[in-house]
Amino acid sequence: MGHIVGGFGISHSPSMGTEYDRGMAGRFDPRWQLWFDGLQPVKAWLAKVRPDHIVIIYNDHLNHFTFDAYPTFALGVAEQFPQADEGWGPRKIPELRGDPAFGWHMCEQLVGQEFDLTVCQQMRVDHGIYSWMPYLVDAPWTIPVLPIAVNMLRFPLPSPRRLQKLGVAIRNAVAAYGKARVVVIATGGMSHQISGARFGMANEELDRRFLARLGPDLERLVAIPQQELIRAGGTDAVELTMWYAMRAALADEIEQVYDFYTFPQITGCGVVVFEETQWTRPAG
Amino acid sequence: MSTVDWKSLEPPHTYLYSGAMSSAGERLNRFALSLKIPANRTAFLADPPAYVSTYSLTPLEADLVARRDWTGLMQAGGHLQAILKIAATVGQSLWHIGAHCAGMSVEQMQSACPRRLGGLPPDFP
Repeated sequence: MGHIVGGFGISHSPSMGTEYDRGMAGRFDPRWQLWFDGLQPVKAWLAKVRPDHIVIIYNDHLNHFTFDAYPTFALGVAEQFPQADEGWGPRKIPELRGDPAFGWHMCEQLVGQEFDLTVCQQMRVDHGIYSWMPYLVDAPWTIPVLPIAVNMLRFPLPSPRRLQKLGVAIRNAVAAYGKARVVVIATGGMSHQISGARFGMANEELDRRFLARLGPDLERLVAIPQQELIRAGGTDAVELTMWYAMRAALADEIEQVYDFYTFPQITGCGVVVFEETQWTRPAG
Repeated sequence: MSTVDWKSLEPPHTYLYSGAMSSAGERLNRFALSLKIPANRTAFLADPPAYVSTYSLTPLEADLVARRDWTGLMQAGGHLQAILKIAATVGQSLWHIGAHCAGMSVEQMQSACPRRLGGLPPDFP
């Protein structure tokens, strides 16, 4: 059967992507050099656990979807997930690929567990995934990804509890698959607000505590209302609720193998990596 | 610079994007998101009034676009992520939007960020 070998939560932002490109072209801004360096252990971990598939819970920023049809949950089932043009033109980075057979399996399993996702056979992906992927995987990007897009832009958002349940459903769906090693990633947050007079607010206390408590205290985190997370961390900190799906997709007993945090300028940038020792320790 | 209420979830401090905002901003968002296509960006920059008229913006909305009134566009129902496409097209960035929202210059905002606060939600583990 398929098994989840581990997972991580990671922030995303447009500047994370453009600053990577700048870093590769010459030298990093010192603030982003910290993030680049801080992600090297995550890159090594990903190479070590050798996933056959990567499930990514993320949010689109009106770069593929528009409000003409904006799904609460959407699943990408396609051979490729091209980079979305966010208005500044495309970046020179590899293209994410998918595995439709795995995608349809996950689709059947998730819908079977009453997650009635919108299925997209064409899905452009924005900085939600493309901003951090180059830090963690060298080109070419051969590991297929399964993007699950979650509405984080317009209320009502799916509840924290619902995202936790999504994670459980992902775990069950992976278990029902043929032999495969799967990593689950959630991306969004951490503290930031990019509109209104509170623009640029940063709450390192919240972010560091979140990284520390996501592993052992999911139930208590899920109980926190979205509005209170937004009040303390900014409107876009609500993206952290997607990390609940990643955590809930993993076993109760896990090892937290790495975490890192920095705040370059507008967005709290954090990562926390969990490993399922049952599956990653034995060879193969 | 206006006084910021760091705990407020109300405008002008914070905009929580609702269904009602989404309906109010329907034309604006459709116009803004059309600019994801390079040819549309070119057409808009070549003749803004003509391009805007194809999206049935009201005179007020068209004026907000022409004046790069980012805060006004949000109050009119534009979503930040849509307005960002207008900013990108006219050579501005998220910094311009943030500075406008907070009533500062871009340089002031860039040197102010990160605007550090503390505090946890009630019952945070």
